[in-house]
Amino acid sequence: MATKEFLAVPSAAGPARVPPSGAFARNRELLAELVRRDVRARYRGSALGVLWTLLNPILFMTVYTVVFSVLLGATYPGGVPAAAYILTGLLVWNFFSQAVSFATSSVLSNSGLVRKVAFPWVLLTVSAVTAALVNYLISLVLLVPIFIIFKLPLSLALVMLPVLVVIPYVLALGVGLLLAAGNVYFRDLEHLVQVGLLVWLYLTPIVYPPNLVAAHDHGLGGHIFSFFFRFNPMTWVVRAMEDVITRGLWPLHWHGLVYAGVAAVTLLGCGVVVFHRARRRFAEEV
Amino acid sequence: MPAAAIEVRSLRKRFRIYHQRNQTLKQTLVHRGRGMYEEFWAVRDVTFRVEPGSTLGIIGANGSGKSTLLKCVAGILIPDAGSVKVRGRLAALLEIGSGFHPEYSGRENIFLNGALLGLPRRYIRSVFDEIVAFSELDRFIDNPVKTYSSGQYMRLGFSIAVHLDPDVLLIDEVLAVGDQSFQQRCLDRIDQLKAQGRTIVFVSHGLGAVKDLCDTALWMDHGDALALGPTERVVGEYVAAVNAHEAVRLEQEMAARPVLPGGRAGVGITEIALVGRDGPTALFETGDPFELRIAYSAPGPLRGARFYVSVVREDGVVALSVPTDDSRLRDRVLPPRGTVRLSIPALPLLEGLFRLTIGIAEIGTGEWYTLLDRIAPFRVHTRDREERGVALLGQRWSLPEPVDSWLSA
Repeated sequence: MATKEFLAVPSAAGPARVPPSGAFARNRELLAELVRRDVRARYRGSALGVLWTLLNPILFMTVYTVVFSVLLGATYPGGVPAAAYILTGLLVWNFFSQAVSFATSSVLSNSGLVRKVAFPWVLLTVSAVTAALVNYLISLVLLVPIFIIFKLPLSLALVMLPVLVVIPYVLALGVGLLLAAGNVYFRDLEHLVQVGLLVWLYLTPIVYPPNLVAAHDHGLGGHIFSFFFRFNPMTWVVRAMEDVITRGLWPLHWHGLVYAGVAAVTLLGCGVVVFHRARRRFAEEV
Repeated sequence: MPAAAIEVRSLRKRFRIYHQRNQTLKQTLVHRGRGMYEEFWAVRDVTFRVEPGSTLGIIGANGSGKSTLLKCVAGILIPDAGSVKVRGRLAALLEIGSGFHPEYSGRENIFLNGALLGLPRRYIRSVFDEIVAFSELDRFIDNPVKTYSSGQYMRLGFSIAVHLDPDVLLIDEVLAVGDQSFQQRCLDRIDQLKAQGRTIVFVSHGLGAVKDLCDTALWMDHGDALALGPTERVVGEYVAAVNAHEAVRLEQEMAARPVLPGGRAGVGITEIALVGRDGPTALFETGDPFELRIAYSAPGPLRGARFYVSVVREDGVVALSVPTDDSRLRDRVLPPRGTVRLSIPALPLLEGLFRLTIGIAEIGTGEWYTLLDRIAPFRVHTRDREERGVALLGQRWSLPEPVDSWLSA
């Protein structure tokens, strides 16, 4: 009895009033709207608002400086003050870890939207990472007093900054897309990611100087740590950032930075493919 | 043939029903893999086409695949087979305030929703005032939507969807909410969109709304498209099928509670039958002839017995409770077996599901010989009438004498 024939109904076509626009322009507007929402959602309901973005790294910098520099007596490359070195690394790391953890929950926490509205859901993850970027750019203001207090050199190498922002952005987006898609199917991922990020933090020379790893590169444990330390693209991003900001030098480890860039783009490719495939059942699974 | 606004070909969508859903790491490790699930086809091989400017209504019971189909058209669910083509910008109103962010004000949500539909901010700004006026929320537009009542929520959602200039508008069961006047304005607005040549797909249980709004209707049943064509015909077929189904169900209910003789003193009811215009039935139309036949049996001649019948609506409202006439029966001796009839020439009951409570009592002591509580279900339909309530009351309106319009002007 199933009716298979097409049905034809007389039509009265009317003009649409909205000017047509390309998919790119539409998605850019939507992304802007989502980023605006994500950034504001973060600050709403907290009395200190934006101040937290600035206060948080200062508090952590203080703790790490006391532990690693004052108590453990670590010294940092080029004789850079511990506070300046640690804060610089922390700002990069905060951006990266925020971006990854926001991205992980980006699809699941917007289940209401995913279930009910058709739009490129990948923008939810892009928005989460971009909102973290906005926070990062705001938090970079903290470098101004650091430059003044510690009389850091201002050099032409600062033109590297955009590259050093883009690489962790792409990296976080790649990792974030993989985790966002995975999190829809395995809800535990969110918790694992928190632990993973803590491990990742200590695999990156943020609170300790990089030469500490070379100094301890003996024995099986040392070799393993050293391997992951070098394998970690964030190591090279942070080292380049430290060179440029705290020492006024061009990045000393070009090969590492290139490796980080290639790793970031590769992960982004994987992330896009996996997300695109996983997306088919998002509306049912979230 | 001109390009269709919506073209769906051989669409199939399969869902997984999880018996054991492994969503946590521990479960995954313990049970290996993603858990046991069964698959079922929510939509099986559905093909249809909607021309620009026409309106399609999708009808069917709960779980028939209507909403799944709509979500596939909206692009939220991705079909397992077949194709969906939509020409022009699509707005879907799948749930009250879908896509609202509770912490956001109404104003911010209008912009967010517009962006989700792919509209430039500058365009949303140009229709913003219209949206607010239509929703009548001007005083609340800067409050977070989490403080809105469900009516306000839905007014805002609907206002946004219809003002954001969609070429194709998908609506799922939202008109049921909201007060009468807002519903009317929604319907007017939909008419206006139709007149502008917009295409509308409407999923509803409310057959009235489908009849009013839709040129064509699609009847879904357990994932299959059973009928597609002019609304009047498809809705008619659907109603007939639903009625036939219900008649079977009511008869089964009747059969499941067999009427047994042998109450007190061996007096009992042996059979109950409802008779309508065309013989025994469980479905009546308001105004139909109605007859209840009660067959009883007793060990010997039955003296001083009284029959009771109550008509009870599903919600417990007793529409009528009537005993046989005491004075006429007091000394009357009834045969040991016989049938008592209660007839109503034109059933005044209005739309509803009713059951009968039937008893036989002894005059004098007032004790029940037998009492059957809420048996004999029957459904009353009220079609082509505007009265609502329990029953017609023989009401009549009188209006003042008409005047010529120029006199009052």
